[in-house]
Amino acid sequence: MRIITKNAEQTIKFGEKFAKKLVGGEVVLLVGDLGSGKTTFMKGVARALGVKQIVNSPTFVIMKIYKTTPATTYKLQAIKNLVHIDAYRSIDLPKLENIGATEYFGRKDSVCFVEWGKFLEEILNFEFRILKVCKVCFRNIDENTREIVVKRKKLYNKI
Amino acid sequence: MKILGIETSCDETAAAVAEIRNTKFEILNNVIASQEKIHAKFGGIVPEVAARKHIEMMLLVLEKATVGLNLKKDIDAIAVTAGPGLVTSLTVGVETAKTLAIALNKPLVAVNHIEAHALAGLITTPIPNFKFQISNQCQSSKSKALFPAVCLVVSGGHTQIILVEKIGKYKVVGETLDDAAGEAFDKAAKIMGLGYPGGPAIAARATQFPISNFQFPIMVKFPRPMMNSGDFNFSFAGLKTAILYKWKELSKDKKGKELDALKIMFAKEFQDAVVDVMVGKTIAAAEKFHAKTVMLGGGVAANKALRETLANNVEKYFGGKVGFIVPDLKYCTDNAAMVAFAGYFKFLAGKFVDPFKLRADPNLEL
Repeated sequence: MRIITKNAEQTIKFGEKFAKKLVGGEVVLLVGDLGSGKTTFMKGVARALGVKQIVNSPTFVIMKIYKTTPATTYKLQAIKNLVHIDAYRSIDLPKLENIGATEYFGRKDSVCFVEWGKFLEEILNFEFRILKVCKVCFRNIDENTREIVVKRKKLYNKI
Repeated sequence: MKILGIETSCDETAAAVAEIRNTKFEILNNVIASQEKIHAKFGGIVPEVAARKHIEMMLLVLEKATVGLNLKKDIDAIAVTAGPGLVTSLTVGVETAKTLAIALNKPLVAVNHIEAHALAGLITTPIPNFKFQISNQCQSSKSKALFPAVCLVVSGGHTQIILVEKIGKYKVVGETLDDAAGEAFDKAAKIMGLGYPGGPAIAARATQFPISNFQFPIMVKFPRPMMNSGDFNFSFAGLKTAILYKWKELSKDKKGKELDALKIMFAKEFQDAVVDVMVGKTIAAAEKFHAKTVMLGGGVAANKALRETLANNVEKYFGGKVGFIVPDLKYCTDNAAMVAFAGYFKFLAGKFVDPFKLRADPNLEL
């Protein structure tokens, strides 16, 4: 799926729409340059999941965990934690394990979003046996316009 | 009494001992081992490297902070930063403090890192009800009461405006909706290739403006995000995008002296934009909450332009009616003196924690 958003609010709306299809256990990789709308997208995701706090950049602490509040749709109710991870500062897999981020991968009561997490693409399937890997790619078209492409990969558990 | 403070929330291993005698709060030793150089080559903090270095440095720093003192006999309480921060870093300090508290049988208090930053300016300031003596730092306030105070806490990971009703009673009235101010500095510096940490790098360039005998063909102008949003929240992500585009546009085909001049101009305007918003919002919050004092804290509080602009604006808007308190430079960046200080008030309030139960909390809220 490909969409063009013309401003931040549209990016947030798209994040909201995207999140409404979650069921729990997903790991979503957010790919895109500095300022391409990844954290903005996350605000929409948080809105859909009923997160009360302000979702801001996790670059400094690497991982922020938000408690979700019971959502209106049945499917979203299984999700208790929104895990927002940021691998911007040369964070690799051992580093994510180190801070306990990987413990949330694939957990039915959690959804994980990883900014700068492209390197996880293959690992998730092999190491964590996660079947629901989704990649959201962000691209700057001009200062306000963003292209967002959602790629759902059909992954097979080869192990 | 003497209180030992321990701080390891990010990349500084720090310990400090403070002595409280009658009316005086005095920092005896304040030791900080910084890992800045180690992380500079990675362009940011690497969590497990930070944790390993914390473990290596912790006892050395403790030894230096308690030199001439007998831990068992002389220390009366232990204060430690329990969050927010990097979990692997926090854990080293928290576990050390717990172990000491159990082994020495001393009371333990857990300090919120943001609270410690918010109160850091008071270390060298008289607090009326506690009758701390006036230290060398001169205050512009003519009023006696400090509270309510509005405190701007800015660092690599945090940008918050906190209403301090009294010590121990806080309310976050504004915060960043996306990037923290320090992070914005880091990322802007990265865009311009100025290195890490971005704050000092940008501040250094900004001071070189204007350049003598050099005429800038155009002056860049960045937005002041959310300046008139009516609340006390911040947003720096848009500013990051603005600088990214302008930089791409203007820096291509430039090199040598021209590129340097461009960096200086960008650094100056970027710093001005961030400072303008932070100062504007803090003044507005001080007005709304009828603050008696405006305080500043956190690593970015070391930024000279921010210190001066905020001081000038407090004076300009409130005359002598509102005081302005800013920490000494050594208490801006992460340190344990501020942890001992904030911890002392927890001690007075009897807010002890069970050393067997305390855990580092990376998302600890104020």
